[in-house]
Amino acid sequence: MVISASLVTWFSGPTLQTAPPIGDWVALTPVLLLGLTALILFVIDSIDPDDASNTPALAGTAAVGTVLALGAAVVLLAAGIGQGQGGALRLYGGQLIVDGMALFFTVIFTSVATLVIVASYDYLADRVYQAEYYMLILLAATGMTLMAAAGSLATVFISLELASLPSYALVAFLKDNRGSVEAGLKYFLIGALSSAIFAYGISLVYGATGRLGLDAIAQQLSGGTQLVGILGVGVLMVAGGFAFKTASVPFHFWAPAAYEGAPAPVSAFLSSASKAAGFVVAFRVFAVAFSPDAVAASVDWTLAFWLLAAVTMTIGNFAAATQDKVKRMLAYSSVGHAGYVLIGLAALNAGQNGLVLGASMIHLLVYGFMNTGAFLFVALAEHWEIGRTFEDYNGLGTQAPIACVAMSVFMFSLAGLPVGGGFMSKYFILVGAVGTGHFVLAALLLINSALSLYYYSRVVRSLWFEDPADSLSIDGYPVGLYAAVIGAAVITFLLLPGIFLASDVATSAASALFA
Amino acid sequence: MVAVQYYLLLSGAIFCIGLFGILTRRNALFFLMSVELMLNAANINLVAFSFQYGNLTGQVFSLFITALAAAEVAVGIGIILVLYRNFGDVDVTKATTLRW
Repeated sequence: MVISASLVTWFSGPTLQTAPPIGDWVALTPVLLLGLTALILFVIDSIDPDDASNTPALAGTAAVGTVLALGAAVVLLAAGIGQGQGGALRLYGGQLIVDGMALFFTVIFTSVATLVIVASYDYLADRVYQAEYYMLILLAATGMTLMAAAGSLATVFISLELASLPSYALVAFLKDNRGSVEAGLKYFLIGALSSAIFAYGISLVYGATGRLGLDAIAQQLSGGTQLVGILGVGVLMVAGGFAFKTASVPFHFWAPAAYEGAPAPVSAFLSSASKAAGFVVAFRVFAVAFSPDAVAASVDWTLAFWLLAAVTMTIGNFAAATQDKVKRMLAYSSVGHAGYVLIGLAALNAGQNGLVLGASMIHLLVYGFMNTGAFLFVALAEHWEIGRTFEDYNGLGTQAPIACVAMSVFMFSLAGLPVGGGFMSKYFILVGAVGTGHFVLAALLLINSALSLYYYSRVVRSLWFEDPADSLSIDGYPVGLYAAVIGAAVITFLLLPGIFLASDVATSAASALFA
Repeated sequence: MVAVQYYLLLSGAIFCIGLFGILTRRNALFFLMSVELMLNAANINLVAFSFQYGNLTGQVFSLFITALAAAEVAVGIGIILVLYRNFGDVDVTKATTLRW
């Protein structure tokens, strides 16, 4: 009933007057394309598993799949599917919701996946199990796009696992490398623990409301509930599950180990796309199902996220400042950025919900490019086998100036200097924090950004101003890695003037959640 | 009919046993078993509340959780296997190539 009612409202546009079942398929095109591409890779590989010459076919198919999914998401977003007056498009009885927010994040996931797959072509050269690698990336991306569209706690949990399980395997992909295996183990152990806590939290929320759909929970809670204690514990446990996925305190311990040990393209994928996926689910669940007023009697989760934001950004940035390995520094900096984005959740219910949540979404978009690019530069360094510490990067600017310019753009943009979109997105978060009266968070954001400039500029200093070691030599300029790094740098830079294009989409998508 | 509070007590106890196991055991396989306990605690809740509310949502979701737990173990056993091959042990504290 819900499907047909919403479809009648929704497919009134001239181009989309199709039969309802087809409409569902159209709205889910990005998800279906990603899943289908993963299966096609499986078929290609099963034809001749031992043939190393089909590597270009595998990488090419994977890249085409993600680019098509990206294109589909952009077209759907531009066509206004699930946005505007009629509200979100609810599919399969509200289990999946396609709206501006889901499509916006689908664009992030597919962009990051494209960059990572293009870069992986060189990174994985001469390695075995390449088909499995690309397939796992695509399956994880499928899970993430489903997370963005999840409309009930059941689909949230299933899509979260679909994104997580391939990630565990990807981190441990280098089976003979102790660091990679250890990273995979730690990621898996903490992931399994947090998903169990998450599942128990869902069961308690179900116990308090008798519903799993996000809208149904909200409806049930608006009438009040007797079981305030159970609901409160359940909400906090669900928040714990999201803290793991977004690498926020207190479930951030896996992030430095996993990002450092994993193959660098996988680190890029996890720290950008997986983090964004955790946030989009958190935004939807907490904004729609557990609106602050409805659960006020049980738990004040805006306060919980306030604390998490403050602690996460401080711990992340201080820990990053003390690292001597670039990849580990980036890992801690990604914890710090999770703290900035959490401000969007902490500042909800202060009357400017669309603005603060929109600011967080824009930051995740920009972060998706600048952080992916930074990790892919590390992948480039690993490809050249020049070492992992800041000192090992000394004088790289003399050898590979173009890549080093790109890396400098990423570093300054991550720090929040106006050479890339990171400046504007951080500014939006700051405006949101000040506008909702969270002056302490705003001050912490500024202090932490100033601190982050110290350790980001250490990289830039190594690249350009230090003398290269005598042994520094790089062999060749891998086309795929270069293309991905430069592409990410160009988009990061273009997002500085182009941010207002994205900010309109993000703010209206975020506002629609509260309509 | 058993009151739903007792199911909640049972599931809470099982969840805590699982959590205790995770915090104290160093063997990765025991860790997996403890996670299974915690997931099944969630299942008990879902089925009990499903009965209480008279809708099937919780029961169906508990089937999904069971299936996902199996998938998680499959991936986990794989990772523990490569752990054993690289470190010669399934002790989670032995793998310390990377600082925490």
